[in-house]
Amino acid sequence: MDGVECRYGSIKILEDVSLQVKEGDFVGILGPNGSGKTTLLKSISRTLKPHKGAILLDKTDIYSLKSIELAKHMAVVPQENTIGFSFTALDIVLMGRNPHMKRFQMENEKDLAIVRKAMNLTNTWGFADRPINELSGGEKQRVIIARALAQEPKILLLDEPLTHLDMINQLEVMDLVKELCVKEGLMVLAVIHDLNLAARYCNVALLLNKGKVFSAGSLETVLTSENIKSVFRVDAIVRKSLVTNSLYILPLSPQKISPSKHCSIHLICGAGTGTSIMKALVDEGYSVTAGVLNLLDSDFETCELLKIPAVTEAPFSPITDKAHRENLDFIGKASIVVLTSVPFGYGNLRNLEAVLEGMKLGIPTYVIDEVPIDSRDFTGGKAKELLLQIELAGAVFVKHSSELPSLLNLSKAVGLAKDHTEIPGHTKDASCAPKSKGKN
Amino acid sequence: MTDVAVERKYSKRSSRWKLILIGLIFALVGVAIVCLNVGYAPISFSEILNILGKQIPGLNGAIDPTSVSSVNEAIIMQIRLPRIMAGALVGAGLAAAGVMYQGVFRNPMADSYLLGASAGASFGYTLAVLFVTTSAITVSGLGLFQIVAFIGALSAVFVVYFMSRVGNKVPITTLLLSGVVVNVFILALQTVFELRSGKALVGIVAWIAGGFANITWVHVYSVLPFVIGGIIVAFFFCRDLNTLAMGDDTATHLGVNTERVRLILLVIGSLITAAAVSISGVIGFVGLIIPHMTRLIIGPDHRILLPTSAIVGAMFLITCDAVARVATGASELPVGVITAMAGTPVFIYLLRRRRTSYSL
Repeated sequence: MDGVECRYGSIKILEDVSLQVKEGDFVGILGPNGSGKTTLLKSISRTLKPHKGAILLDKTDIYSLKSIELAKHMAVVPQENTIGFSFTALDIVLMGRNPHMKRFQMENEKDLAIVRKAMNLTNTWGFADRPINELSGGEKQRVIIARALAQEPKILLLDEPLTHLDMINQLEVMDLVKELCVKEGLMVLAVIHDLNLAARYCNVALLLNKGKVFSAGSLETVLTSENIKSVFRVDAIVRKSLVTNSLYILPLSPQKISPSKHCSIHLICGAGTGTSIMKALVDEGYSVTAGVLNLLDSDFETCELLKIPAVTEAPFSPITDKAHRENLDFIGKASIVVLTSVPFGYGNLRNLEAVLEGMKLGIPTYVIDEVPIDSRDFTGGKAKELLLQIELAGAVFVKHSSELPSLLNLSKAVGLAKDHTEIPGHTKDASCAPKSKGKN
Repeated sequence: MTDVAVERKYSKRSSRWKLILIGLIFALVGVAIVCLNVGYAPISFSEILNILGKQIPGLNGAIDPTSVSSVNEAIIMQIRLPRIMAGALVGAGLAAAGVMYQGVFRNPMADSYLLGASAGASFGYTLAVLFVTTSAITVSGLGLFQIVAFIGALSAVFVVYFMSRVGNKVPITTLLLSGVVVNVFILALQTVFELRSGKALVGIVAWIAGGFANITWVHVYSVLPFVIGGIIVAFFFCRDLNTLAMGDDTATHLGVNTERVRLILLVIGSLITAAAVSISGVIGFVGLIIPHMTRLIIGPDHRILLPTSAIVGAMFLITCDAVARVATGASELPVGVITAMAGTPVFIYLLRRRRTSYSL
């Protein structure tokens, strides 16, 4: 079986969709709600005839085939499955053999064997004799999948097959289908909402948006951060997991709040201590900078994702003068400095010095003291000394990072803050509030 | 159930079904013979068996002619036996048509009167009674009224079907609604004519209420091809009916030509119903409840459900007709009354026996 070509040009729901599928392909049909995914499946399964265009199976138009012919090659697992008759699960799966049976044939041993295999693969054999309407949603779903498998199809169409399944069943079904793709060359077209599951199992993806093909091709080319942002309007981190050897997608909050508070905060962090507070501050609307961070540091990764400017240092190198100067530069431009509970070694000790410099300039400084300094001081006491100096200089110590945003809000008193430039030597305002009448 | 037991149960299924059917056929014959005994003239079982034996070419010689009185023979052969045969055919036909309609519509409330067959037949009969003065017209023995009732039934279904067609498809819901509308409309016309029918009203109402009072062999022969032929043809489509129960889309995905199967089954069901109603009037309950009763015992697989319902329907109606014959002293009760009164408690009992809620 060479491939299925799908060209569908219909004004209302799907427009000009083209795709070529090869044996063994596991195609994920992705897209937001209303983008036409189910319609596409319907046109392939002959439920809805396309207005324009053709769907070819091995160069034959599928609409020219008799439905029983097509049923020998193509199986469909629809989204909705309400069955009002009390057939047993086994009866339902046996119906999958219908296309292969002649009119008067009763089911024979071979059919039963195929059915049993399909039911074993989907873990449904255990309730084979029970009426379908007594089964749970997930069990019903698996029975329908078993029926599709009993058809021994070359092409399998799945419309959101995982909706009612719990985690282990989702993985088992996907594993099963993938194995059939790889071992027996089954072609699968599946509408899947869960991008992570699609990323893990599909090798080809078709991303639909508003009825048109936004992107099609191999999974890596389709599932990119940009595409996800454009189509789903969600910022997402797309990374490759070395454990599962596939992409995984981590969606962030739907909207990135542009800096609204005109108040810049310089964050001194590292070793993952800064990630959550960075996100929290960005969400609040502050513009954030960070430094000095090691290039391999996970906080630096977060900076890249949240587009936070950061001072970086080469891995395994202590903070060089250049980096230190850049750090001081950022501190000078900031209205507030925040220091997290980052562990200190000789490599990043100069960050503490930078904080002290900042305090000399009068910049309000907050220290998040979640982890006691003794347990994170790897400099033989020097870090502790510097921290003590910072405390004496008037920094505000906060026990939990969650308290910080509210504390910052309080210190800002009223309304929007103005960006203020550095005036060397002058005491900075302790808040980002606009200068109100009569004060200062 | 263990794995092996489940597999064995399903692989032995067809032999089990054949056994059930054979058993039921024997039961049917037994019921028929018992009911031959029911009636005003007391005729013993042995005499009945002798009379029947005389009809069979092979046994003819073995039966002593003196053990059979010609009067009794006439009663059995000309009055009771055709009546029982007709009862069996109508019962089987209505039940089978009920199974077909319930399967096609996927609706437990469906029976074969849904698309107007009963209304059409009644109306046709009414018009014939009112406007044809020479009631002696017969077509090869079959009364004109029967023919008109038959045509009336089919016409009503025809109208309903074509009202509901959209292009090449006939959506089920549209069919149902059209059936309701046409039934109501014909009923309205029927009422008008009944009110103006004067003396003929009693006869009309009595006929519509259903009964086997004046059944002759001609009636039996006229219905037989429709019922038997219809059930046999419908049997070819039973597996498709099973698949159709999954929904139109799924059935198509599994290779069933849903429009064609539905059309064929509706045509067969309507023909059977029209034939049945034209000789027996409108007998209710059989087409609706017998399929359910059978389904509760034997399951939803149409391949066994159809023949079983037909036989059960036959037995049921024969019995009810026998009761109707002798229940009240002077005149017969309408069979429809007996079917409802007898069937309802049985159905309720079966329904209560199920622990889970009812589904087709």
